[in-house]
Amino acid sequence: MFQKQVQAPVQAPLLAVRGLCKSFFGVQVLHDVGFELAPGRALGLIGENGSGKSTTMNILGGIHQPDRGEMVLDGQPYRPKGPKDAEAAGIAFIHQELNLFKNLSIEENLFIGGFPKLVRGLPFIDRRKVRTRAKELLAAIDLDLDPATLVSRLSQGERQLVEIAKALGSDARIVIFDEPTTSLTARETERLFGQIQRLKGRGIAIVYISHILSDVMRLTDDIVVLRDGHVVATAPTRQMTVDKLITSMVGRTIDQIYPPRASRPREGQPVLEVEKLTQPGMIKDVSFQVRQGEVVGISGLMGSGRSEMARILFGLDPYASGRILVDGQPLERPTPEVAMARGIAFLTEDRRAEGLMMDGPIADNLALPSLPNFAGGFGRLIERTRLGDAVERTGRDVQVNARDFVQTLVKNLSGGNQQKVVIGKWLLRSPRLFILDEPTRGIDVGAKYEVYKIINELAGQGTGVLVISSEIEELIGICDRILVMSHGEIRAGYDRAKFDRERIMRSAMWDSVTKGGR
Amino acid sequence: MTPAQTTRLDRPGLAPGLPLWRRLLLSEYLVLFLTVVYVAGMALIVPEILAADTWRDILAAMIPLLIVAIGQMFVLVVAGIDLSATSVLAFSSVLGAAVITMDGGPLVGMPAFLVVAVGILAFMAVGGAVGAFNGACTTRFNMPPFIVTLTTMMFFSGAAIWVTTLLTDDGSSIGSLPREFVFIGQGRVFELPFSLLIALAVGLLAHVALSHSLFGRWLFAIGINPNAAAVSGVPVRRTMFWAYVISGACAGLAAVIYTARLETGTPVLGQRILLDVVGAAVIGGVSLFGGKAKVLWVVFGALFLTVVDKGLQLLGLSLAGVFAIKGGVILLAAIVDAQRQRLKGRG
Amino acid sequence: MSPADSRKIRLLLLQNAPLILFLVLVLVFGSLSERFLSPTNFMNIVTQAAHIAIIAIGMTFVLLVAGIDLSVGANMYASCIVVALYMKGWNPVFGFAVAGFLGLLFGAVNAFVITRLRVPAFIATLATLFVGRAIALYLSGVKMIPFGKEILLLGRTTWLGLPVPIWIFLLVFVIAWVTLRLTTYGRQVYAVGADPEAAAKAGIDVRRILFSVYCIAGVCAAIGGLVSASQVAAASSTFGFQKEFPVIAAAVLGGTSLFGGRGGVVGTVFGAILIQTVENGLVMINADPYVYPLVVSAIIFIAVLVDSLRTGMLERLERRKIRVETA
Repeated sequence: MFQKQVQAPVQAPLLAVRGLCKSFFGVQVLHDVGFELAPGRALGLIGENGSGKSTTMNILGGIHQPDRGEMVLDGQPYRPKGPKDAEAAGIAFIHQELNLFKNLSIEENLFIGGFPKLVRGLPFIDRRKVRTRAKELLAAIDLDLDPATLVSRLSQGERQLVEIAKALGSDARIVIFDEPTTSLTARETERLFGQIQRLKGRGIAIVYISHILSDVMRLTDDIVVLRDGHVVATAPTRQMTVDKLITSMVGRTIDQIYPPRASRPREGQPVLEVEKLTQPGMIKDVSFQVRQGEVVGISGLMGSGRSEMARILFGLDPYASGRILVDGQPLERPTPEVAMARGIAFLTEDRRAEGLMMDGPIADNLALPSLPNFAGGFGRLIERTRLGDAVERTGRDVQVNARDFVQTLVKNLSGGNQQKVVIGKWLLRSPRLFILDEPTRGIDVGAKYEVYKIINELAGQGTGVLVISSEIEELIGICDRILVMSHGEIRAGYDRAKFDRERIMRSAMWDSVTKGGR
Repeated sequence: MTPAQTTRLDRPGLAPGLPLWRRLLLSEYLVLFLTVVYVAGMALIVPEILAADTWRDILAAMIPLLIVAIGQMFVLVVAGIDLSATSVLAFSSVLGAAVITMDGGPLVGMPAFLVVAVGILAFMAVGGAVGAFNGACTTRFNMPPFIVTLTTMMFFSGAAIWVTTLLTDDGSSIGSLPREFVFIGQGRVFELPFSLLIALAVGLLAHVALSHSLFGRWLFAIGINPNAAAVSGVPVRRTMFWAYVISGACAGLAAVIYTARLETGTPVLGQRILLDVVGAAVIGGVSLFGGKAKVLWVVFGALFLTVVDKGLQLLGLSLAGVFAIKGGVILLAAIVDAQRQRLKGRG
Repeated sequence: MSPADSRKIRLLLLQNAPLILFLVLVLVFGSLSERFLSPTNFMNIVTQAAHIAIIAIGMTFVLLVAGIDLSVGANMYASCIVVALYMKGWNPVFGFAVAGFLGLLFGAVNAFVITRLRVPAFIATLATLFVGRAIALYLSGVKMIPFGKEILLLGRTTWLGLPVPIWIFLLVFVIAWVTLRLTTYGRQVYAVGADPEAAAKAGIDVRRILFSVYCIAGVCAAIGGLVSASQVAAASSTFGFQKEFPVIAAAVLGGTSLFGGRGGVVGTVFGAILIQTVENGLVMINADPYVYPLVVSAIIFIAVLVDSLRTGMLERLERRKIRVETA
């Protein structure tokens, strides 16, 4: 549908990336990725979560090395071994999580890597020169602030601009923006865009990564769309529309098979009712229900508030107003302990940091949430045999592939098996409501299928299931109903009969589609 | 991944195929083995180290240290630390002795068993209260445990001395403790020191609590990954709080033994064993980074430190020399622990 | 008032808690003792605070990178005992050079164990505290060792109306202030303390910075030790014992955070004077000397508590938002 070849740029390419391939733990995440950057032009890089954008950028930044492929910068081969090489080559990154020192002033942040010296060979900083150059840099980006201001006093948007000034100060020729606008107000965003245009005017090449497609359309000259590690479209921006971009991001292939949804949601008292749940800065007026035996999907981009909502439901984070009802009874000020007592289970999106004791054996991990059920009598001693049997049974039920659950440490399992351990540890409690946040992230296709099967079976037994995922395909495959979140609010809901990939994506990209955005 | 790949050398003492010296190096009995080697080596220079009297001394020195170190272990499992344990020794020794002293104490005239029972409770309650304060500060206000317990260490060491000056004329110690109480420190049952029986009971109880109870499982879970523990419904703060209380109460119990042995409550108790307490646990193999502990290890660690101490004394080394060498040994244990942690990070 | 505003006010109160504490103490002591508020007494306080301030300035560097050095008291004893034992009659400048060098070595051992062998700082320096003290006791034979006359003379000499200890303290203070404020190194210390990962990405040699701060703390401990020596005449076996407490207290009271990245030497000097004011005030009102450690530790506790609360509050304020709420 689109031209596979980029048209010859007006100028010679500043950076040419050709045939990048990269695998992690035997899973290929990049397949022959290639694109070109020209001075003074902006390239939009888009794709769903996990499509390979970050890996590509990490290779550019020297954090990962490619398995195959080459990069040519200014006609010279470019093979960065670390972030320092990238910086030396004139490539600057502006991440979503900024790399500024909040305890230092603007000017100090601009020069922290190397201050101008008062006298050569002596360590003293030439404060006056720092001040003048900082003023120049700030003036260049229209930031009317005293360079001595502490960064902690700046708004998020101003910090973003300081990062740009830093890039200018290091004579960057390529500046890469990764989701720069997620925490900016509309005015700050406008200001940022103005500066990006000016960077282009100075002949700097821009890479702009964002989920907000209307911004990408406005800012960029060319767009590259990635899907599953492949470049699926490369074209000048003027030949693109938001609709076309969405279509190519979502793709048309169904490369996963889902077990048939055999059971139907049950009528009667819903397991979970959420009414106008609000936490300032996080989510707003979230209302929905999950019925017994129903699989409800939550779709949304990263930072849409989907995981934050799940954490609030499970009592990990507080909420300011609204109501949560489990089986018709209110759940007030929940803690995980309370939520669990009411039959809620929660699989976190960050398996390593929060889901598992990586240094612990499989058995201990499986047992952890259920320990109180196996501790009886005086001193609450653990009934080892009963616990051991239950753990063994559950481990086999979810098909954790290991010979010995007591000896094998979780960190030595594959991602899929690790995830099965997390699921298993909650199944041991026979939950009424199971919240799964990105249950198939980082696991292979076979393991994914098994996870889907478990979800299906749970629903068949009458458990309410809430699945959060950035893969729309997956939600369509396993859910009875899909809710779409964006900017902390639920924007749309679709029943199984009305599932449609593009409509869901459009709701998730709410910013791009509604006029005027935010 | 095949199951065959998943068996790891994490408990390498059990791993076959390694050379003997490596198996030994990684075994949990390494410290015990080192103790034997040390004694054997020392015996060549100072044969007295093999004498029964020497070992009686070693046992006597080891028992209270072991009890404090076992308490310390509960805090170390959750990656905390309790530096206040030695001040708890002093403080509860003074307050406890003040409660049970027959020289104008509040319990004069009460039946002996009651005095002893109330006394032991008082010692442990003082320790537990200090521990509760430490626990509250670290879990509620997120204060770093080492600095909290360092300040409580300073505070209660000072308080012990101050209270003594208030309670006594010469400000040195509180005597006239009941004979039945002194028995705890000096008495023998079936030729065994009574205090040894206490230590055995504490050890057994601690082992059951750590390895067989819900509380123990929770401690390990928090030590390995506090976030995962919290998400799995473990009451992280409450559990950590009790770890500090246990550490304090154990120090209180050790103070009972020290005080009974000396027949006086004194504020200088335990001033020099601060490092020994942490050292006994870490030398045994309890990790400063949390999640790794066993009562048996602490026993080995306490034994090793006490034997090293005694051996150096027999060699005629000055107190300062003993301190320097012991400090070095403990530093070495901490380094080994840090290196193990690093290797684990890589694995 | 919005909740954010009230949070900011609470933060402001927390940040100025030491100053408020100081004023309250001055008022209390001043009302209890007439001598307390005299200029002579103030000069006394500053002179007595000099050595604590010097050591605490070194400690400030360590705290700025979120480290800790519990061994400063032992270092002070070990370095000074050598001067007392072997350098009688030498020019005091040599004394300072030798003590400073020994302090540097002591600090370098700490630095090596902490940065290369990755032992947590508090446990590493706790161990070197014991080892260092033991070595010093061994050297001294656990006896009281008098310092040479030239060292004592230093303590009594005044120059331009100020006692020499104050001049030494001022010199150390100025060097430290200039280093932290006006050199690349100093600013990088702050950067490493705030975020070591970001610092590494910004091309800062993080390990070198971490290593160096322990060396600086070592040198300052030794110099502070000799300044103290010039005032106490002899090194008893408790010389420098538990000095780490007032030193850490001075830094933390002065607003330097245990969590790294915040604070500075000006505050530290203020903290040192505050601590000394308390001790002095207790003497002036004839308080029970056994109460001193209780008061000092209570003050440290308050300082640490304030620091923890403030850090927690700042973290909550800084937490990333996913919605931009329009006001």
